[in-house]
Amino acid sequence: MKKLLLVSLCFLMLCITEVFAQNRTVTGTVTAKDDGLPIPGVSVKIRGTNTGVQTGTNGKYTISVPDNGTLVFSFIGYAAQSIPVNGKSVLNVVLDVNSQQLGEVIVTGALGVKTQAKNLGYATANVTPKELTATAAINVANGLTGKVAGLAVYELDNSVDPSISIVLRGNRSLEGNNNALIVVDGVPLPQGSNYLAAINPNDIADISVLKGAGAAAIYGSEASNGAIVVTTKRGSSSGKPTITYQNDFQAEKVAFYPKLQTTYGPNGGEPNYVDPNTGFTLYVPYENQEYGPAYDGSTVIIGAPLDSANGKKVMVKYSPYATSPIDAFFQTGITEQNTITYSEGDAKNSFYMSAQNSYRTDVVPLDKNIRNAFSVRGHRTYGKFSVDYSVQYTKTNFSTYINNGGNGGSGNIFGLSGSFVTTAGANDLYSSILQFPAYYNLGSYKDPNSEQGNVNNFPDAYAINPYWIINNARKNVQRDQLLGSLKFQYDVTDWLSASYHLSDNFGLDQERYTRASVTFSPYAISDYYSAGNVGSGFKSTGGAQGVVYDYDAYGDGTPSGQSRIQGDAILDLHHTFGDFKTSLLVGNSIYQENFKDVWNGSQQLLVPNVYNVAYIGGQPGAGEGSSVIRNISYFGDLNIGFKGYLNLEATLRNEQDSRLAAKVRSFSYPSVKLAFVPTDAFDALKNNDVLSFAKIYGSLSRVGLINVGAYQINNTFGVGGGFPYGSLGGLTLGGTNYTTLKPEITTASEVGAEFGFLKSRIDLTLTYYNEFDKNQTVYVPTSEATGFSQTLLNLGETQSQGYEAQITGQILTTGAHKFGWTVGSNFSINNSKVISLTDGVTSLPLGNNQYAVVGQPFPLLQGTDFVRSPSGKVVVSPTTGNPTTASGLTTFGRTTPKYDLGLNTNVSYGFVSLSAVAEYRGGDVIYNNIGQTLTFTGASFYSASNGRENFIYPNSVIQTGPNTFVNNTSVSTVNGNYGFWQQSNFSKTMSPFVSSGAFWKIREINLTFNLNQFVKQTKYLKGLSVSLTGRNLWLFTPKSNSYTDPEFSDTSPNSSTRGVNDVNQLPGTRVFGGSLKATF
Amino acid sequence: MKKYILIVSVLSLALGACKKTYLNQEINPNAPSTTTPQFTLSAAENTAAAITANDYTEYGVWAGYWTNSGNYTPSTELAQFSFSTTDFPGPDCWDDLYSNLANINLLQSSTQGTAGLSNFTAIALILKAYDFQQLVDNFNNVPYTQAFQPSKFLFPQYDNGQDIYNDLVKQLDAAISLIQKNPGATNPGSSDIIYGGVMSNWAKFANTMKLRLAIRQSNLSTNAAKDALASTAAIGYIDNKTEADAQPGYSNTAGKENPFYGNFGFDATGNTTFPYLFYRANQVDTDIMHQLNDPRGHYYYGVVPPAAGSPLLVVRGNQLGNKNNASNSNTSPIGPGLLKSPSQPSPVFSSYESYFLQAEAALRGWIPGDPATLYAAGIAASFNAVGCPGAAAYATQAQVAYPTSVPDGSPVGTTLFQLQLQAIITQKYISLNGLFNNEAYTEFKRTGYPALPQNPASADPNALSGTLPTRLPYPSSELTNNGAVLAKQGTINPLTDKVFWDK
Repeated sequence: MKKLLLVSLCFLMLCITEVFAQNRTVTGTVTAKDDGLPIPGVSVKIRGTNTGVQTGTNGKYTISVPDNGTLVFSFIGYAAQSIPVNGKSVLNVVLDVNSQQLGEVIVTGALGVKTQAKNLGYATANVTPKELTATAAINVANGLTGKVAGLAVYELDNSVDPSISIVLRGNRSLEGNNNALIVVDGVPLPQGSNYLAAINPNDIADISVLKGAGAAAIYGSEASNGAIVVTTKRGSSSGKPTITYQNDFQAEKVAFYPKLQTTYGPNGGEPNYVDPNTGFTLYVPYENQEYGPAYDGSTVIIGAPLDSANGKKVMVKYSPYATSPIDAFFQTGITEQNTITYSEGDAKNSFYMSAQNSYRTDVVPLDKNIRNAFSVRGHRTYGKFSVDYSVQYTKTNFSTYINNGGNGGSGNIFGLSGSFVTTAGANDLYSSILQFPAYYNLGSYKDPNSEQGNVNNFPDAYAINPYWIINNARKNVQRDQLLGSLKFQYDVTDWLSASYHLSDNFGLDQERYTRASVTFSPYAISDYYSAGNVGSGFKSTGGAQGVVYDYDAYGDGTPSGQSRIQGDAILDLHHTFGDFKTSLLVGNSIYQENFKDVWNGSQQLLVPNVYNVAYIGGQPGAGEGSSVIRNISYFGDLNIGFKGYLNLEATLRNEQDSRLAAKVRSFSYPSVKLAFVPTDAFDALKNNDVLSFAKIYGSLSRVGLINVGAYQINNTFGVGGGFPYGSLGGLTLGGTNYTTLKPEITTASEVGAEFGFLKSRIDLTLTYYNEFDKNQTVYVPTSEATGFSQTLLNLGETQSQGYEAQITGQILTTGAHKFGWTVGSNFSINNSKVISLTDGVTSLPLGNNQYAVVGQPFPLLQGTDFVRSPSGKVVVSPTTGNPTTASGLTTFGRTTPKYDLGLNTNVSYGFVSLSAVAEYRGGDVIYNNIGQTLTFTGASFYSASNGRENFIYPNSVIQTGPNTFVNNTSVSTVNGNYGFWQQSNFSKTMSPFVSSGAFWKIREINLTFNLNQFVKQTKYLKGLSVSLTGRNLWLFTPKSNSYTDPEFSDTSPNSSTRGVNDVNQLPGTRVFGGSLKATF
Repeated sequence: MKKYILIVSVLSLALGACKKTYLNQEINPNAPSTTTPQFTLSAAENTAAAITANDYTEYGVWAGYWTNSGNYTPSTELAQFSFSTTDFPGPDCWDDLYSNLANINLLQSSTQGTAGLSNFTAIALILKAYDFQQLVDNFNNVPYTQAFQPSKFLFPQYDNGQDIYNDLVKQLDAAISLIQKNPGATNPGSSDIIYGGVMSNWAKFANTMKLRLAIRQSNLSTNAAKDALASTAAIGYIDNKTEADAQPGYSNTAGKENPFYGNFGFDATGNTTFPYLFYRANQVDTDIMHQLNDPRGHYYYGVVPPAAGSPLLVVRGNQLGNKNNASNSNTSPIGPGLLKSPSQPSPVFSSYESYFLQAEAALRGWIPGDPATLYAAGIAASFNAVGCPGAAAYATQAQVAYPTSVPDGSPVGTTLFQLQLQAIITQKYISLNGLFNNEAYTEFKRTGYPALPQNPASADPNALSGTLPTRLPYPSSELTNNGAVLAKQGTINPLTDKVFWDK
């Protein structure tokens, strides 16, 4: 695991030690507590001296010690232990993991260079494999959630192919990508947040989070949003082969769905369904809007008579059914992961192999995701020459129903929607389910061949049987992804080494969308109730032909990510001149990214169930695209350390990129960083038990970011609408030339301090950063009279500034007590601001109702509100009692969280340990589009809160004069039912559906039984542990949000906007299960 | 040995990369970076036809042809004329017209001055007049001189509507002169999907455009278009042998159908589209059809069983904004005379409109000719367009025939001119159904005809005004993207503010 990676460094730092003859020889073995394996390279020192040795590859050591001496065992990543010799000659020591030692943590920085954290002039954080896989999340991203200050992971939807966005320190680019760069074993993955789904989390040895632009200056423009540097396992160093087997089994259940009313049945304002005497709405047997009478237990017909106007009438009880439609539809999803790893090696060579199968079924019946991941990795040293290799192959198959939007971003592709009809207003799957009235027994429609379940007899005139959708509208995807890396290193002399790193990342994404044909009976088409039902939309054809759509992309294996081949050549010069330890890294990176996609499809399949464009009517639709991006960079990284307590780092990088015009193609950017460790510098502070470690640091850096796509700078002509007609072509203007576009420039400064108190029992890190992003590459919407709806410009400046704090305390240490308890917390505040845009522009739409407004945070949610009095109360009409929509846009707030707080704790007693992670996010708003839909249809709990009676609009006022308003105590709405919730401006106004985006989530709970001590004596089994895990167990939101998980968003992961949900994100789930891990 | 291999490979890669061409990736492999006049022309003509066919649905409702079906909740903007919510109904035609005009402008600028390409320049000038007139008729003052130059004018200024009209007349005269002076220029051939490169027809088109510009300003004392009619009168106007119909080769394929048919009728699989189900016959027009005993009623609208259960099929319309409108099975859809086939041509400028324009111009004495003959020719062309027989018999009906005297019992002050103009505009109104909604509504605003049997405004009690909108509001995109410039136009009230020719 991590041990080996650290070994080489330890040798470097500690090898020059002298051993004086003493009067007692002590021997022993140092093993790790977590897996019981020996640890090579552990420093064994005699306290108060510089005398010491290191353990060998088998973890054994031999040292001469005075009888009354004390040995200090220390190893990076483990809690040091001091043990008095007391005349013993054998001392076997078990070290426990301790990731909290400030300054000693090894950080994998730029270009894979490992550095001790105390030398770094920028903020970093490490996530250990144990933390990462605590709850056996399939996706690495989920394992990072809540663990690092300033790192926010957004799970934008909840499907078997979820969209995930990983953002460090909030947004800085107005319209570009704000996601952190993911680097795996030195290979940058620009589409990383999507790519993480292909990585087996158990393969990861370490994750270093480089938070700021400064940290990543050397990775180049792609890392201006910070970087997450993943190091994978390379095998063990114990000299013996180790095999582990792990099984994780988890169940997933729908946990957070919108609050729905179960009091009122269907009526959609049909004029014929009104009681002529009372004016009350009557029961409408086919409607899916719920503005009808209250459930009363009577017996009513549901839907139309079956099969014919004189057919069987299905009579049901008019009261909420025992199982709600949501509970009836969603099932318990099951995830099972089986992982086998094999590792072996010694201090010089290592080998690692892993295979994992994960099988996940979703809460939506029939949806599933199967991932098989294989990897082979290793390291070999031949004298001065060493080679490191890694190959990872992942095959993912998943299948989901098709949705109009969301759901893995399938979109409404090629006229293919989750419903087989768009003309009759039929809804998507989740939207339909949310709208089914509470008296539906959804189970009766499960069998599509049954009397009630067949497509002609579904009672809701405006929805399609959801079981028809999941059975007949499918997206099946196969992804094959390969990530290979080969690194040679030659240590020319003791002050010079040269290395070359070649990596290739490519994959194939094959997607097939199919939708079965459907035929309606003449009776269904005749529309018994004249309701304009689904069937009546097919009067002329009797049904719809089947649909097929194929999409194949060659790239990184995700639908839009590029493949990448990269070569890095690096010369590493390092020498110590007296008190100055210097190193200089110079190098060159060249990469090429390729992408190609091809699609074809038809909506006119001739033969039912034959999904092949060769068997269609009309012509197939088809298209293709390809792109190449090339980039050459040169860089230098100079480090000067003075006496180990002062470290200066300066970097310079030049980049040339094919996406920019030749004149502005080459750009350079520098950074400088300084770190100072007072506790090492001043004698007065050395060996201080209260302040055991202190470091202060600062950095200034600049990074260029290319927010221009391949070929985007030059105008092209598009195919005119409808063309070609036969052999006749037609072209239309696509845009203008943008050849002067330059990269965005981020200028970042950062200062921070790290303190270890009471021998690092309490660790505190504090960071302040301030970043300015200039030359934003932004599409400015223009007057259409310019000929174009938008023009791409470099403009404006934004600021992103914030604080981060991370504190860890070991309240009880296991070394001294059987009982151990640690608590940790990370907290960040992010302030963003638009400083300027361009002349004549003070507000810029970013999409999804979000804007960049000068002087305001961004992205800023703006939308319609009611007319309000100066005191903010809603003004209602003195005659109708209804509010009116104000013209213009009202600002609601930012959609990215301002505050992010993570809390974690670990309690252990003997072999049992319990850990938990909770997270709070707040300071943002979300627009619950889903609430608008639910209110429109009368399904929301909110819409029934006044008993559907006329009511006085809460906290309203009536305008009595030009500037006078009186509290409304007497004027009720003229209607409290359909007429208000659906017909008035209420459901069309945005403000009632904007809520705080704040939430508390209990992210993770893990209860582990480490059974190592019980199996230690067996011959084959070296370790055994059993865990119970839970993820996203509880969600707490403010009262104003009764709709859904505020993390969900209908935007794409690369979008700079977030915070708008709709009915395309499935409801939130909680996951719980168990793991078993055996080491052989 | 390995050392050398390593060093050599590092160096070779670093040096190889220095090749200058390595980073030259400007040429987009997916799309062309140049066009030809032919490609630009065919797309511009096709788009111009599609805009006329599809962008004026709201005018079709306000003109009394169509209304919403009883099956659907009516759009409040449509039924109540409440334009406070931003995006209705301007942007479609604003965006589409300017976007197409950018292409027309490119065609003009890329061919202008090259004698061999003068036919392309001429058609570009004519199409420019065709689309810009629509912009002015919808929005009055619009950007013209500073349009289409984003690098120079990111915030283009607005020009006076009448100034634009006057300049369009000059552009049309220039087009006619280019056609006449360069007989040997490259023929656009099949890339001209309207006239197949027959340039004499384009001269007629340009001349008819001038007539349309002139007639539109009939209520004004200064009318530059009228003054320019005589100079090109000899060229003649669009007639039933020179119909300006776009036909690129529409077919029953998704996206390649006739735009009107594909939008308001049926998709490539034969299923009805949403607009087909949403827009049903409007009582305003079905009443006129019944009143005039007009056989075209069964071509403009589909037949349905009447309300009382009589066995005869009838054309039946709904009322705009009426909550109790009949459902789809009991109201007429858009009819078979408009929805003939997915490959039907898309009319750009019809001969019946040309005849009625000529009839009015002759009535006013602006051009020579007999208004009655031109009137009858217009009716015949309209019957022919929807495939309806019996034009001659229809035209001889007392209430249809061209008035020759003021009947007894007419309101005091009624003049023969008024009655003749009313007859011309009423027949023009009937003939423009569906395919030229904008012309029907615009001419109604200019003349107040036809004398509609009932107030065409909405039955919705919340409708903002009893009268119809007089102009379109500027699209909200102008407010946000060109706000400072737009502010100079003052506050626009779409229910009272008028286009310059509307006196």
